[in-house]
Amino acid sequence: MGLLEDVRDRFIDKLSPATLHSRLFWKTVERLARSPLNRPQWKADRVSLSYFLRITRDAYSRRGPVVWCNLLVPSELIIGLGCIPFYPEMAAAVVASAGLAPRFIDRSAEAGFSPDACSFHRCMLGCAMDGFLPEPDLLLAVNYPCDSAPLSFAHVAELYDAPQVIIDIPLPGREAGRALLAGQLEDAARRLAGLSGYTAGEMEKGLAGALDLSNRALHYLREVEELRKRSDCTLDGKDAMGNISVLAGCMGSEEGVEFYRLLARELAERGCAGGDSLRLMWMHLKPWYSQKIFNILDRYNVRVVCEEYTHSCWEPMDPREPFLSLAGKIGGHFLVGPVERRASHLASLAGDYRVDGAIHYNHWGCRQSCGGALQVKQALQAMGVPTLLLDGDCVDEREYQEGQISTRLEAFLESLH
Amino acid sequence: MEKGKTIAWFCTYTPLEILDAAGLVPTRHFGDPHILEYADTQLHPAICPYVRACLAREMREAGPHHAFFVNSCDGMRRLYDAWKNNFPGDYVYLMDLPRNPGAWGERLLAGEFRHLVRNLEETWGAIITPEGLRAAGRAREERRLSYLETADGMCGESRLRLAMEVHAAPPGGLDLSGVGGRDGPSGIPILLTGNLLNPAGVVSSLDRAGARVVWIDLCNGDRSFSSSTLAEGEGLDQLLVSLARAYLGRHPCARMSDSGRRHDLLVETTRAAGARGVVYASLKFCDSYLYDYPRVQERLKREGIPLLRLESDYADGHVGQLLTRVEAFLEMIRP
Repeated sequence: MGLLEDVRDRFIDKLSPATLHSRLFWKTVERLARSPLNRPQWKADRVSLSYFLRITRDAYSRRGPVVWCNLLVPSELIIGLGCIPFYPEMAAAVVASAGLAPRFIDRSAEAGFSPDACSFHRCMLGCAMDGFLPEPDLLLAVNYPCDSAPLSFAHVAELYDAPQVIIDIPLPGREAGRALLAGQLEDAARRLAGLSGYTAGEMEKGLAGALDLSNRALHYLREVEELRKRSDCTLDGKDAMGNISVLAGCMGSEEGVEFYRLLARELAERGCAGGDSLRLMWMHLKPWYSQKIFNILDRYNVRVVCEEYTHSCWEPMDPREPFLSLAGKIGGHFLVGPVERRASHLASLAGDYRVDGAIHYNHWGCRQSCGGALQVKQALQAMGVPTLLLDGDCVDEREYQEGQISTRLEAFLESLH
Repeated sequence: MEKGKTIAWFCTYTPLEILDAAGLVPTRHFGDPHILEYADTQLHPAICPYVRACLAREMREAGPHHAFFVNSCDGMRRLYDAWKNNFPGDYVYLMDLPRNPGAWGERLLAGEFRHLVRNLEETWGAIITPEGLRAAGRAREERRLSYLETADGMCGESRLRLAMEVHAAPPGGLDLSGVGGRDGPSGIPILLTGNLLNPAGVVSSLDRAGARVVWIDLCNGDRSFSSSTLAEGEGLDQLLVSLARAYLGRHPCARMSDSGRRHDLLVETTRAAGARGVVYASLKFCDSYLYDYPRVQERLKREGIPLLRLESDYADGHVGQLLTRVEAFLEMIRP
């Protein structure tokens, strides 16, 4: 038995909700994370790990109001108003990485959730039903990137008797769309301030501070993006993909700034590895429970040089106008509205990063990504970028068809060479 | 019917009054459930089969392919994308739909209606006046009431077919005189809820098993006829605001944020219709209803209302297999 399986059997499988709520558990985990035993590939990873451990510990021990958010909820809004953001979709990815997702997915199936729904949400629901997630004071969802969050959050809201707020991002290009979105964000902000007990002055100051930090993080993120465009940049996409959690959950925090500052510095210092590997763009997410796909890429000397969800797609914000600024940030996201916006964003990334090919990982049950994958493929192929649509599941390892995936992937990689 | 002005619609949140007032001929499409694979070049197979059926049928039809979409779910938005990609020369419009029925939702939807009016005037040269919109609204209301009157006493497949006929008929092109008639009191009364079903599929199997489907809470059934969208107001803007409020206040689809109201209505309607149980049947891959079902299950359990869950792939080649389950359920709720 391997070390990972041993650790899983002895410790992780025996996790109980009580463990996650205990101080000792978090103290131990934080100590382990700081110890020399934990040797992340990048110094920046230590910053993000420490941040997420701290806010997750705070959420379980209820050191502040806990706000569940879906991917496009701007963390600046939550952090700036003294609340603790909790992103359950990312928690599902962590659960999958620990090999525990099947247990919780089965739990949600017992409660009547269909296997045709997204396994990120089914896993999250199973965890919530068994008391493994921090209790929310409020659930905040925006209506993009997909339908699943507003719908699954409704179930959690009922489970915990917590209020749910849904923000409707208007279609891009609509007159007054930004003001409408800003108004909804302002209403949501008042509710968050009500939870944290912030006064109007504290709200203004908190949000201005969070937006300022977010702008500083954005500055370094753009440096990282420029550095990654170099040939054979040493940051591999299979590792960078996890930075989606930083982009979604750390913006507006000191750690967000520090993460991207350190990453930019280290990328510049390490320089380029050299070599002649082929460059690949990864679309949607990866299977969090397995590295097998990436081992195949390594074998074929192919590197993921950019990923769909880890890049900036907004302009610096005005801390004096937090709601209009945040409305601009999320309302202009490429996943909002028709697929042509997403396809155009990806085509632009493919050009900027000079990719030789692209893979779209079709996560089962994800209508927003798989639904538009064929149009994305058309757009990329029109610019000469061969594109593979690979069916799989990001969270449920039982749905990973290893033989089929390997065969299709290897044939694609051979064609690239 | 003016072929050139015929416009397909798919979601019951389509503001038909506005399209009518613009002189267009809106007609609902139901697609062809038996040729879903034709859509595979444009849409992933794990997308709602209604969406795929609509695209598949249209890909085999001659144009024009004018179409009106509501941004009501991922599936509909993806259908819009694929349609626009496939029929670039046609009028293909996407209207937003908020999830919230409150003040922000009303502002957003009223804004969408204004945007639509301007777009119709610019694209089609239509002139939409308050009088024209009021007249179109009254005609739609008459049609709604006429459906409810005609459908009274009809059950199951025949009732669903009637609802679909009314949805598909162009404005002014529907004569319901002589249609209808009571289906008879036999059978165990049940309420059918879900998203959208093929009348020849699950619904017909319920009939065959001895159920009397007295209310069809489906998007292609009674649901859109159960609430009025008659707008009030003097000027066009007032009318559009009123219309937005009416659409958001109607019997909600499971995608709306006021799902609690939907569940209340389900319980009330079940009791008012004298149904002895509820059949929850929905198309595969429809997230709004996949996530809704467990909550309905819990609610109906608390209310003591028996529930049967069925799933449909729209073509419903498996209805024979469903019969046994339906018969067992009916046996359980038989008085």
